[in-house]
Amino acid sequence: MRIDYKLDDKFDFGLFVPAIILICLGLLAIYSATINHPTASGNFQKQLVWAVVALGIFFITYSIPTSSFHYIASPMYLFSLLLLVAVLVLGRKVSGAKSWLDLGAFGFQPSEIAKIGTILLLASFLSRRNAKIDSFFDILIALTIGLVPVGLILLEPDMGTSIVFMGMILTIIFWKGISLFSLFVVLSPGFVAIFALFGVYYFIGAMALVVITLFIFKKDVFFSGSIFALNLGAGFFTDYVYSALSPHQQKRILSFIDPMADPLGSGYNAIQAKVAIGSGGLFGKGFLNGNQTQLQFIPEQWTDFIYCVIGEEFGFIGSIIVVGLFFFLFIRLLRVASVAKDEFMSLVLIGILSVYFIHFLINIGMTLGILPVIGIPLPFVSYGGSSLLVNIFMLGIAANIYRTRKNYA
Amino acid sequence: MSDPNFASTTRRTILYFILVGTFALISFRLFQMQILQQESYEEKSADNSIKGIEQIPLRGVFLDRNRKVIVSNIPAYTLRITPADYDRKLNKFLESVLEADSGYIDRILFNNRIYSKYIPIRIKRGIDFRVVSWLEENSEYLHGVDYVVEMQRGYPAGIMGSHMFGYTKEISPQQLGKNKEFYKPGDYVGHNGIEKTYEELLRGIKGYNYILVDSKRKEIGKYKDGTDDVSSVKGHDLLLSIDAEVQRVAEQEFNGKNGAVVAIEPSTGEILALVSAPEYDLSQFAYVTTKDFLNQLYSDKDKPMFNRATMSVKPPGSTFKLLAAVAALDMGVITKETTIYCGGGFTFGRFFKCHGGSHGSLNVVHAIEKSCNTFFYNLIYKIGIDKWHEYAKKFGFSTKSGIDIGEEVAGLIPNSKYYEKIYGQNWPRSIMASLGIGQGEVNVSPLQLAMYVSLIANNGKGFTPHIVKGYIDDNTKQLVPFKFNEIDLGIKQEAFDIVKEGMYLVVQGSGTATRTRIEGINIGGKTGTAQNPHGKDHAVFVCFAPFENPKIAIAVVVENVGFGGTHAAPIAKKMIEAYLLKDKIKPKEEIVPEIREKIIGALFEN
Repeated sequence: MRIDYKLDDKFDFGLFVPAIILICLGLLAIYSATINHPTASGNFQKQLVWAVVALGIFFITYSIPTSSFHYIASPMYLFSLLLLVAVLVLGRKVSGAKSWLDLGAFGFQPSEIAKIGTILLLASFLSRRNAKIDSFFDILIALTIGLVPVGLILLEPDMGTSIVFMGMILTIIFWKGISLFSLFVVLSPGFVAIFALFGVYYFIGAMALVVITLFIFKKDVFFSGSIFALNLGAGFFTDYVYSALSPHQQKRILSFIDPMADPLGSGYNAIQAKVAIGSGGLFGKGFLNGNQTQLQFIPEQWTDFIYCVIGEEFGFIGSIIVVGLFFFLFIRLLRVASVAKDEFMSLVLIGILSVYFIHFLINIGMTLGILPVIGIPLPFVSYGGSSLLVNIFMLGIAANIYRTRKNYA
Repeated sequence: MSDPNFASTTRRTILYFILVGTFALISFRLFQMQILQQESYEEKSADNSIKGIEQIPLRGVFLDRNRKVIVSNIPAYTLRITPADYDRKLNKFLESVLEADSGYIDRILFNNRIYSKYIPIRIKRGIDFRVVSWLEENSEYLHGVDYVVEMQRGYPAGIMGSHMFGYTKEISPQQLGKNKEFYKPGDYVGHNGIEKTYEELLRGIKGYNYILVDSKRKEIGKYKDGTDDVSSVKGHDLLLSIDAEVQRVAEQEFNGKNGAVVAIEPSTGEILALVSAPEYDLSQFAYVTTKDFLNQLYSDKDKPMFNRATMSVKPPGSTFKLLAAVAALDMGVITKETTIYCGGGFTFGRFFKCHGGSHGSLNVVHAIEKSCNTFFYNLIYKIGIDKWHEYAKKFGFSTKSGIDIGEEVAGLIPNSKYYEKIYGQNWPRSIMASLGIGQGEVNVSPLQLAMYVSLIANNGKGFTPHIVKGYIDDNTKQLVPFKFNEIDLGIKQEAFDIVKEGMYLVVQGSGTATRTRIEGINIGGKTGTAQNPHGKDHAVFVCFAPFENPKIAIAVVVENVGFGGTHAAPIAKKMIEAYLLKDKIKPKEEIVPEIREKIIGALFEN
């Protein structure tokens, strides 16, 4: 049987158009941020080339058989782990983290590729016929699949990308249908560990919260006790790891917790970023006219702080347009995830959505001063080849899933 | 089998609300920052927290023609006060240590009140090492007081050169208005002399250290660990044509006298020495110049600030006879054989006296040798005033020479139009007689006289006079020479040969400057005595040596002393000895400039 689809029905402009506009806005902002820069002035041309390559990758990914994503899940995941190990040995240090692998003339971040591998394998594992998300072993395996790359990325150390991974894992198991209690079991050791970093009182407070929650769920004493012990262990382990670190590494963790403790480092960027955006006003200072941008008050603004260029030079209107485009894209992805009949496809889509969303939230949140400074790029907009290619590849997967959503097998 | 909760409507709604909530939150935050608080961010953006601290480059030094350092940079201590940390109760102590009058510190702080309290203010430059030790010893009690090492001009060769070198001075608001892109208030710029003319080469390129400052402009650290800092680039060293030894001798000879001397290398126009006496002490200007010091200089009756070498114009006396001789010979109105009879004077309307009785019948050569007035009284009427004026102009009189130290006066050479203006069509022609012997309304500067004798020595050829030959390229250590205009008067060689023969006899024959003779060197010269209605005559002497191959041409003017052969010529003699016999007089000593610069550089950094 041959169904004569309209183009609209096969090709989701709602995914494609916002992404293309974001890439174009990104190119404008990169141009502005680098035109007067002594060493980065070639970045616009490089990004332009990447954008053209990305377009090709999008259409290739869009056209291949949808089932291929299923097949590449495991190999891609294992390949990613291999790269993540390799980067720890052979990697190049960029701003304190060994996160770049050099391949001849250009470098890439294995953690970007690992996002795809992890989403695909996690979705594949959870969409097994007999998968039971609330069973202990399924949770354990799902968490293992997710946390192995997180551990490797933390060793680089790249805190930002680790957070993206953790958010992504959480979103996927949430979408799969994890129960509230299981979610608590999964999340609590993480919270306790983070609280333990702040000091003894925070640690005790967090443990008290765990005890109260355990009472509310009214599980049996043995099970509750095990969860309590697990949390206690997580706290002590954090403390142990922390004291084993060198003062230099401790300082980095502290500045992650409280950026203002280091006003010349990340705190400085946070202040300058806010000044750039705030001073933009309603219409902005005009393209190439932002003094914060043109005088390079924010180091490497074309990467993680690209949104400041838009905020300063295109003002409130430009900033809202960018946020609106992302919002439109997210709603669209959520809708496609809901209409995909295949559980694997749906989980993959929600994984992709979560990666985009967490990048978006942390990046814009930090430039607006509502989240601490965590260096991760803004999808499609920030400068960077490997990030753009991986993001467009994921968009290609989404468009592909949309294309074949009606081919029930 | 799917989990019952998989992609449930509830879960979809939760995600939907998270998305909408985030969108709302970010939109609100953008509205708050960009619309509501825009003004405050705008202010912060304008008044940002990175500040560039200027690094003042080392000023280029001056080397003499033998590459000996004659103007250098020396480290000096500057006392500073940071008002925010400073307690005014300390004023009394500090003022007594600095030997300043009471109220000195308050006055300076008041003058600088517009700057931030956290910016250190210079209180006194060039403080004594004794004061520095005192500061060090008592630093724990002296909050907000410190000192820095800064560079100022030093004059290590023992020569003054005040009117040539000039000094630097804090930039004036007018200068600042024209050069905003390079200078800031408080910068020092060349104020006169070479320091001014070559300011752009000497100043170098400023460096910047970037620091982070808080809203009160208080330093909180380096910006990006100093990776964006730009180091300053030292100014170019200038190679002067001055010979330090000749200059030193000339200055010494002028000690106690008023006047000027200029020595030029005839073949190049390079100035070998330039003295205007009295000189003033440039090293006094290296420190903060006090009003008293300036007032004292300005009110001195000998006017030490006045550059007599280029700005004092006077009648040149008999030295000007050479001009008439050259003109007449070139025009062909006389030849070497033409003789004129001197019976002790000349009558044209009235009687003009010659000196020393009657010279008898003599030609131009002997007229120069004996400096016979009668001969030249006659000659100017043969030449005619306008032709004479034309030749004077050719030699550079009544014209600014274009010397590279700026201040210059053109002087005056009258022509018929000039007199018509004053006396009308029938101006008394008898006025012309005294012009022929360089008296009357002829006003020339010592520099012009030096150029004149230099051009005669070199047969009418030469270059615009200049003090700076070029600058030293810092990489190659080679001279980068400047170009100067070539001069060719286009006067017959024969005219120069005949006139120079006369000049030879003035010194080497039985002329008016025979006491100037130096064994082994033939000199050509001409004495002059400029009548001075206000007092004793000015002594003038022009000469060049060696006669056969002139290497130095000199014009000396000594004010209010009398006869040129007696008072001006001996100064020229000493200078010729110093220049041409220097190898016999004194072994060469030379400090390699790079090593010296390194020593200073090291001092400067600490």
